[in-house]
Amino acid sequence: MQGHLPPGIELIKVDDFQEWLVDLRVLDSNPLYENEVYRLKFTFGKNYPIEAPEVVFAKDATHPIPWHPHIYSNGIICLDLLDNAGWSPVHNVESIAVSLQSMLTGNSKKERPPGDENFVKYNTQRPKDINFLFHDNSV
Amino acid sequence: MSSTPLPNDRRSRASSRADALPVSTPPLPVSTGPAVVFDSSDFVVGGPPCSPSPLALRASHSPSSKRRKSLRTQAPLDIRLLEYVPKCDSNLVCLICQCPFDIPTMLACDHVFCRECLDHAFRVQDGSKRCPTCRTHVDLKKEPIPVPRILFSMLEDLMVKCPNTKAGCTWLNKRDGVQNHVDLYCGFSTVECPAGDCRFSVLQKDFHKGCLHYTVSCELCYTSIMKKDLEEHQRTTCAQRMIQCPHCEVEMLRLDLKAHIKDVCQFAPTACPGAIVGCGHTCDRRFVPDHAKTCSMATMAPFFHAQKTRLDEQEAAQKLLQRKVDILEGGFANISNIVYPTNASDDSSFPVTNPLDPNAADSLPETPDFRLPPASFPPPAASTNNPPPPPFDSSTHHLLSLHESLRDEVGRIANDLASVEGRTHLLILNENQRAKEEMLHASAAINSLRTQVHWLLSARLQQGRASASGGGGASASAGGSGSASVPAGSSLGSASLGPLRRLSDSNRQDTKL
Repeated sequence: MQGHLPPGIELIKVDDFQEWLVDLRVLDSNPLYENEVYRLKFTFGKNYPIEAPEVVFAKDATHPIPWHPHIYSNGIICLDLLDNAGWSPVHNVESIAVSLQSMLTGNSKKERPPGDENFVKYNTQRPKDINFLFHDNSV
Repeated sequence: MSSTPLPNDRRSRASSRADALPVSTPPLPVSTGPAVVFDSSDFVVGGPPCSPSPLALRASHSPSSKRRKSLRTQAPLDIRLLEYVPKCDSNLVCLICQCPFDIPTMLACDHVFCRECLDHAFRVQDGSKRCPTCRTHVDLKKEPIPVPRILFSMLEDLMVKCPNTKAGCTWLNKRDGVQNHVDLYCGFSTVECPAGDCRFSVLQKDFHKGCLHYTVSCELCYTSIMKKDLEEHQRTTCAQRMIQCPHCEVEMLRLDLKAHIKDVCQFAPTACPGAIVGCGHTCDRRFVPDHAKTCSMATMAPFFHAQKTRLDEQEAAQKLLQRKVDILEGGFANISNIVYPTNASDDSSFPVTNPLDPNAADSLPETPDFRLPPASFPPPAASTNNPPPPPFDSSTHHLLSLHESLRDEVGRIANDLASVEGRTHLLILNENQRAKEEMLHASAAINSLRTQVHWLLSARLQQGRASASGGGGASASAGGSGSASVPAGSSLGSASLGPLRRLSDSNRQDTKL
């Protein structure tokens, strides 16, 4: 199973089908992400894969939240793929991880989404229930 | 200890299967109705996994097991929970559930999914439906399109393990047979208890044991327990289940002790292998080989054993033959019963056939054991005497000769029939020929008649025209000179004479006909 995974993606915790932890590294020499390992937390609902899993970056001592204009500092990711509108049941953990990896690879701005501070402070919703407005087609 | 598995045990099953998954995705917790799943952690039947006993196999293969189909307590098999051996080709895997296609369904964009997965995916899409893979718009009126036959064949040929493998079933075969196997043949399928009023289920292999759902008390620890769980209890959980072998002092399961002492234990007193021949020596098992080397009876024992088995086999074969002979004799008796009464009641049938039978008149009276049935003897009164039934061989012989003569007669009749048929055929042919000729004659006559009539008619017409013109000429000449009228009249007479002559000619022909 490990052998099938693309480089830079590593399964950490796959004990059950409620929550998975996956480590992500950006492979090329992007100064923003060099030498850093990010931890993704997948939470599967009972309708997976018909419905999208909840995917966020988890922050701890060794795993920071990557800088990206679509990733809030609490780890919530604004990506249409992870919204039910853009989700397709043919996606899986591997394809999501690869998508996020390429999203980070293509980024060169060290910034947070607009309104990050407010959002992080006041958001109590689960990422799934947030109505994101997908405007940026460049990622 | 719960051997009635939880109906929604799928997650644990799926997790135990995670390492078998080729892709890093948890399988779809499909919500298609509960499939009963056995988990090895809490479900062990009859100790170590073993193939079902021959008895159980026979019971589960017996025709009566088919009758039990309706008794199956399991929900329909979910084909996606099966374990594939070897792992399935990734091209045959549905991208949604990550399992080999259940019922493959193809969209116009050539993407294939399980039917159920696609239905699920479409259900959450509001408005227009799109292909989950390529997001092409799907026209539900025209799609899904037919799936190539080869895909079905490849899916059917996938090798799967029985879903009851954890319980001990060793079945491994093509996927299209698995439902049948689980329904009818798998000894580890759960079926309703054979006792009508019992609500519990049993494994199919235990079906013939009757209802095991009554409480017994374990004779070791005195806990009460269901009969069907007793063996498992004594094997795995009973506090008193271990015992020391009294001979070799090795600790083991109480259940296995007997077998151990009988066949394995090196310190148990064991009889010499020559015991069947009469050696009375008994010693520890470990010394038996030494004794056997010196004991002549032990040396002989294998031969005696072989002899005995052969004897048994022959006896069995003989019994079979005896039964066959009995049946045949009964059959013959029946036949003779059928044959003789009819002879006695119907005398007239024999005089007809007897003259054709060469044996009947001459040879039979000379050979005493080759008697004809009573009815064939010349004095009819003999039939009333009812002599004992003649031996079988004579009666069958008689029947055979009768049959032979009948066959001869039939042959002769057939020959006669053929010759008669030939003659009739010839006769008909001749008659036919003659009739044909006469018809030809008649048609020729009619033809000539027709031509005559034709001539006659035309002559009559000509005559009529000529007389009309001749009358006109005569009146004109009569009005003119009388001398001139004579040649005119003679010429008219010669002109009208031609047809007249011919008329007479045709008249002559008429009379000739």
